[in-house]
Amino acid sequence: MGNKQTIFTDEQLDAYQDCTFFTRKEILRLHSRYHELAPHLVPMDYTNDPDCKLPLALIVNMPELNENPFRNRIVESFSEDGMGNLSFNEFVDMFSVLSEMAPRELKAIYAFKIYDFNVDNYLCKEDLVKTLNRLTKEELTPEEVVLVCEKAIEEADLDGDNKLSYADFENMITRAPDFLSTFHIRI
Amino acid sequence: MEEHKTVNFMRLLSDDSTHSTVSSDSCEYYQTEIFDLLPSIQASRPEQSRKPSEAYQDGPVPGEESVYGHLSSGPRDKAPTQPLRNMVICIQGKRSARERRKMQISESWRRSQSINRKRVLAQIGGALSGLLPWQHTLHAIEGRFGVGVKAYFVFLRYLVHLNLLHCVLICGLILGPTLFYSITKSSEPLKFGGNDSVLDFFLGSGYLDRSPVFYGFYTRGSLNMQCLNTPLLYLAGILTILFLSLILVVRRTTVGYKHTWMLGKRYSMNVSYKIFGGWDFTIQDPAAAALKHSFIRNDLKLFLEEQSFSRREAQRTLGQRVRLYLLRFFLNLLVLALLGGAFYLIYFATKTSQDVIGHHWLVSLVLEYLPPIAISFVNLLLPQIFRKISSFEDYSFTMQVNAMLVRSIFLKLASLGIYLFFIFKTTKKPHAVQCLENLFGREMYKLCIFNFLTAFCNAFFLNYPRKLLHEKYPSSFLARLWGKQRFLVPFNVLDLVYSQTVSWVGVFYCPLLPLIEAVTLMATFYIQKFSVLRCCVAEQRMFRGSISSVLFHFMLLLGLLMAAATLGLNLYQPEGTHMSSCGPFGNGQSVFNVTGVCVDSLPGPAQSTLRYLASSAFALPLILAEILILTSYVSRGRANQKAIERLKEMLVMSSSDKRFLVKQHTTMLRRQRNPCRVRPATIEENQPLTPSHEN
Repeated sequence: MGNKQTIFTDEQLDAYQDCTFFTRKEILRLHSRYHELAPHLVPMDYTNDPDCKLPLALIVNMPELNENPFRNRIVESFSEDGMGNLSFNEFVDMFSVLSEMAPRELKAIYAFKIYDFNVDNYLCKEDLVKTLNRLTKEELTPEEVVLVCEKAIEEADLDGDNKLSYADFENMITRAPDFLSTFHIRI
Repeated sequence: MEEHKTVNFMRLLSDDSTHSTVSSDSCEYYQTEIFDLLPSIQASRPEQSRKPSEAYQDGPVPGEESVYGHLSSGPRDKAPTQPLRNMVICIQGKRSARERRKMQISESWRRSQSINRKRVLAQIGGALSGLLPWQHTLHAIEGRFGVGVKAYFVFLRYLVHLNLLHCVLICGLILGPTLFYSITKSSEPLKFGGNDSVLDFFLGSGYLDRSPVFYGFYTRGSLNMQCLNTPLLYLAGILTILFLSLILVVRRTTVGYKHTWMLGKRYSMNVSYKIFGGWDFTIQDPAAAALKHSFIRNDLKLFLEEQSFSRREAQRTLGQRVRLYLLRFFLNLLVLALLGGAFYLIYFATKTSQDVIGHHWLVSLVLEYLPPIAISFVNLLLPQIFRKISSFEDYSFTMQVNAMLVRSIFLKLASLGIYLFFIFKTTKKPHAVQCLENLFGREMYKLCIFNFLTAFCNAFFLNYPRKLLHEKYPSSFLARLWGKQRFLVPFNVLDLVYSQTVSWVGVFYCPLLPLIEAVTLMATFYIQKFSVLRCCVAEQRMFRGSISSVLFHFMLLLGLLMAAATLGLNLYQPEGTHMSSCGPFGNGQSVFNVTGVCVDSLPGPAQSTLRYLASSAFALPLILAEILILTSYVSRGRANQKAIERLKEMLVMSSSDKRFLVKQHTTMLRRQRNPCRVRPATIEENQPLTPSHEN
């Protein structure tokens, strides 16, 4: 095909194409974005799968994530160690799930992970309180926050355990028509 | 042992009701041994756990086999054909899964081709939507003012497209045949001469009277076959326009309505969605992000206000309630009185404007425009009074906004309707030469021009000076009194609906009105864009219901129905009362005559079918069938609703059963492991109640 890039082997690019929603060109573009974040850390040659991870602080300063109140949680939920250090694989994975080609179910799963602050597979009241505070920049009074969170759980909780399991969350989010268009980052 | 176990079981039951070794709080419930073995947890567990050690080796095997559909019945069945991209494991795991599957080169190539195809289609779609006019303007407006203001501009663009479509139809069916087949009685080309002046463009007389703008231009011409003649084409054109508009508007209304219905009527109170789906992840601009934060906060504050209002409302005593209802009744009477006064004012203006002869040209210009001036004045003043009135009625905030909106919509459309009623009933036929239909067309034309002039003057002579005042003298008395300009979306949309209704009513009498309307709307777009981007500040409170597109299209539908009704009533006249002497239906023919002649000329079967379709023997069964279908849909919907409620209850019950059983099991296991903690006395005292319990 005449591509003269030396960053990845052809086999690696094929694997990326199959495992994500990106084409070869986009993967190369993603690599250059990843490289820009820390030019001295990220090698230009990925043919032998180097083990390079970028810290959370570098990634959340990207313009696509900078204004997002959940940027820390997004990066953490895609990182292996849960601390937000992303290798290139995880970086690509993150933008692949958040791209517009990803199906609704996949996005719903990751949305659930993002909002689950204490990573216990349930959205409990503390998770909701943290989400709400991030959303409103803490401009509601604590009583108002508690009231809103209680009402939210009451509305969405189907199995009556005062927490939102994934089934509850999915049921609530799939009824909204614009979830796909809002849960989407273009890079 | 079994009996003891049974006894333990019974004993635990009563122990647990007072205190239990497993706390009723959920923490320990989720950490019990049996909890991990439950099938529902097993199905969801593997895709959540990604141990780092596994990732770089063979990849989590369960990960591939249980895909994200842990709620579906057979996840393992779907696994081999599930595309790799859609799996919920990290990329390394997907790579290993890929190797395990050992995909053929051709298969992987085929998959990548299909995704390339989808991408190309998506890009074409993106390019086409970029071709839509003013796309970047709308994007800029959305970033600075939010979705509500953008919805107004989207609606405006939709109306421009609608009017352009009408123009195409008119050119094809009405203007084209007339120009082509016209027998020019007086073969002079249309030019400025005689008594024509620039004022004609404002009054619609003189030069414009003779031009294709008005009804009188469209004579029967040389196209005179029985079923294909100019009058019939004219009629067909008008009817097509109205039907097409009806279909388009109804379709848009129902699509929007289905969306809001699908979210349930709880959508506006659906706080959980506001929290989890409220943030738009595509926002990258700090100003847009700040605006979104404030929207979300105000949305939630509105919700809290609703809650506190409904609490207050529930605490009203009977005496307070009676007083309130009485007050509301009197206020509604006041509203009706105000509406009556407004209608009388319009009638008076219509009457006054009809004798314009013998005045100075400026005075006669003002007199001719007196009805539109009266209508605009009424529509400017009364909504403010309605807002004051609704603040006394003690409704919740959303109800207040809705009440004011409903009253304003009714006022606007009814004032137009009353005005049309008056001019259709009271216009005297001045001379034998002049065309009555042209007079009607002229009134519609004047309304259209006046709307545009109002928008223009509002933007440049009211909003812009206001903004300058705020910039130069921000602390002066006038600046503080006047306040900053806010773009009120529902009222601006109402103005658009009003002008579109005028266009629909007037298209029969003034066929080029859609063209004029389209041009005016495009100019209005730029005027409003200037007004919004330069002179307004963002509205902080967003009333969801009032900016919904369902409401806009429903208002448009009301306007269309009113236009169709007015037109139909005006055209349906008993034979002999009025013979029009101009236009396509001149020479004593009416609309119904023309169609009658055509139907008579058709072959026998077609003729009898048409007569049957138009008769009441067909209409009645049709209406009955529609009623039956509607009833079946409604009852099916109700049955589904009941089924949903039952299933929800079942879910809660089985979930609490599960919790109870897990707790029991855990407590039993613990007692087995720590037998010294169990109270020995109780075991011996109790009889085995159900010895057959275990085996």
